[in-house]
Amino acid sequence: MIFRSKNRFCPPSAAKTTILLCVVFFFALFAGDVAAQRRFSKNYPAGQNVRLQLINHTGTVTVIGWNRAEINITADLEAPAALIVPQNLSGTIVINLLRDNQGKEVGSVNFTIRVPYTSMVDIETRIGNLSVSNIRSGLVRARISTEGDITLTNIEASAVSAENTIGDILFDGVIQDGGSYRFSSMSGNINIRIPFNSSFRVVATAPSTRNISFGSCANQNMNYLGDGRRIVGKCGEGSATMSATNQRGTIKFISR
Amino acid sequence: MNCEECKYLLGAFMDSELGEVQAAGVRVHLAFCLACAHVCEDLTSILDVCRSGSPAEIVPPNSQALWCRINNIIESEAKPPAPVPAEEPRGRFWRMSFLQFAAAVLVIAVISSVVTVFAVRKYTQPPADDFTARSAANQTTFEKLLGRVGLIETPAQARLRQAKEREATIEYWNARVQARRIQWNRTTREAFDRNLRVIEESVNDYTAILQKDPEDDLSGEMLDSVLNDKVNLLRDFADL
Repeated sequence: MIFRSKNRFCPPSAAKTTILLCVVFFFALFAGDVAAQRRFSKNYPAGQNVRLQLINHTGTVTVIGWNRAEINITADLEAPAALIVPQNLSGTIVINLLRDNQGKEVGSVNFTIRVPYTSMVDIETRIGNLSVSNIRSGLVRARISTEGDITLTNIEASAVSAENTIGDILFDGVIQDGGSYRFSSMSGNINIRIPFNSSFRVVATAPSTRNISFGSCANQNMNYLGDGRRIVGKCGEGSATMSATNQRGTIKFISR
Repeated sequence: MNCEECKYLLGAFMDSELGEVQAAGVRVHLAFCLACAHVCEDLTSILDVCRSGSPAEIVPPNSQALWCRINNIIESEAKPPAPVPAEEPRGRFWRMSFLQFAAAVLVIAVISSVVTVFAVRKYTQPPADDFTARSAANQTTFEKLLGRVGLIETPAQARLRQAKEREATIEYWNARVQARRIQWNRTTREAFDRNLRVIEESVNDYTAILQKDPEDDLSGEMLDSVLNDKVNLLRDFADL
């Protein structure tokens, strides 16, 4: 009886054990995810002329202008989690992950930063995408040492610089009188979307593809140099200056 | 009476030329003032010698020679008079020969032309533009001439020199990157290698073009640009 009884309860016990193991495994997996992904968040009061300076190692950086006098920094950190130590240096918010994690292996850090829309933005990363939108200030600079796309949308800045090695660059904004605009890529596509009545002097160079399209900005003031590898010209009065260089890709101007 | 007045009147007093009142005053002062009394004694002794001795005893022997020596000493110690500058004849500067005048005009014309050319060129070109780094098309005839003679670098020579300098920089940063890359994770290593490969492809392309056509300034400029990118990439990753 006793043996029979034992044999009769054996299958339900195995099922329980299996379920228990599944639950433990699930929680262990969940706990591992929690340990691998951390979140950083911090707010700073800011004036209208604040400057954001960020140097990231790997990951996506998204900067969005908003109509508030504060800076909101959030970051998702992958393991091994990087140390983030923002500094407020007399009106400049500095985040330098390379300096703060010197000699350490760190995982990707994906930033989302909201700044007053009049802020100056200077962001840089070694690997990853950069995106800046809704900024109306004196400076927008985005630089990727290696690969990643740069997307600058709804920008009204007097100095804009975007530079990467492999990846696309999109600028969608307004050319300001007397402004300076520089776009440089080694391999990818540079797309510049600006109002058709923009006024600027331009030097566009695409030596490998010779694929430079001015669209509606094209006029008789454009000079083709070096067998079409470079176009030098003027749109409107030409009070701003623009330089676009793409070593192995295309350059395209699109009317807004 | 004070000492000043006494000394002033002492000569007349000795010669008995003072009135009674002034002579009495001098006497009273001499009675009380020891210094004035000594002066009076000295004068009295001098007058006594003069009155008693013969002139031959007073005058030194060969007085003429003595005066000559005194005179010579005075002359030698006296400063020589400042030489009076000779008055330059007026209008000498303008008295040039025709050849001298023509040469001066020519020198002025050449200097002003060179200054004007440099000023205009500096105004019309970006300030940071080194003329050796400019393209051959942008060089002036004068610069081309100097380059042919060998007085200045041609753009091709300047490019070659800059490339050699940059090679040294690249070697330095590359050594640092090689020392550090063992600590990078796989993603970083792959991304770095992929991007360096793209840059090196461009370097090779432009080098090949320039070997065929050394005067291709645009390729020279692009080669310069991609080498800069290479240095920047190495520098960025040297500290990771």
